[in-house]
Amino acid sequence: MPTLEGGLRIDAEDASDWELLRSVVGDAIHPKIDLASRLGGLISEEAGAEDWQEFVVPDLRESFNDELNQVGAAIEAAAYHAKGDAGALWITPDDVFQWYSSLNQARLALEDHFHFGPSDNISPDSLSPHKRAAFFRSKFYCAIQSLLLEYVMVRP
Amino acid sequence: MADTETLQQTKETTALDLPWSVIVHDDPVNLMGYVTLILMKIFGYDEKKAAVLMMQVHKLGKSVVWTGEREKAEFYVQQLQAHQLKTSLEKAG
Repeated sequence: MPTLEGGLRIDAEDASDWELLRSVVGDAIHPKIDLASRLGGLISEEAGAEDWQEFVVPDLRESFNDELNQVGAAIEAAAYHAKGDAGALWITPDDVFQWYSSLNQARLALEDHFHFGPSDNISPDSLSPHKRAAFFRSKFYCAIQSLLLEYVMVRP
Repeated sequence: MADTETLQQTKETTALDLPWSVIVHDDPVNLMGYVTLILMKIFGYDEKKAAVLMMQVHKLGKSVVWTGEREKAEFYVQQLQAHQLKTSLEKAG
């Protein structure tokens, strides 16, 4: 829900909602290769791949991890305040890029792992339960990103 | 000795002045509105130009979003990757 301060408020109804929010951080951590390395892999040798891996990728990795840590801490603080039950989580305009980034990291890692492709072509019933759950989490993250874009990041 | 150093510096400068292109690649995750917003934020493009480039990424699979001197191109690629856009750097032409 958009707030008067130009941010967004997410209302958790129970413990399962907090678990779903916590999964943002868990999903963003790819078991095999991290996002910074994947992005760094796009730089060709001619363009200076070796230097990019040595100097840029570590900075990207640190930045992505910082964003995830801050979002994870915000979720834990809100869940603690709500005693794990019904409660609210606020995303302020100052925090919006780290939230968007963390949700994006989670979606990119899920896509890399499950290869969903364009969501229009996916029939959730055809997916295994594990993959279906991941698909719906990715859709949930995407829905929050869309709200962040519409109400927080692009403001008149 | 001093003359030799001067000659080497001239060659390096010439090489660095070759134009390089910043290329954004399509992916199934980044939202179209986000790509447009980031192009506006990083390059200072107006919304119309950023949206045209975003649509090229979406429909053609990639788009050259900027071309110019290498050092600046590297900076832009780093900025775009920091915003999680799949971006590469290629010699122009």
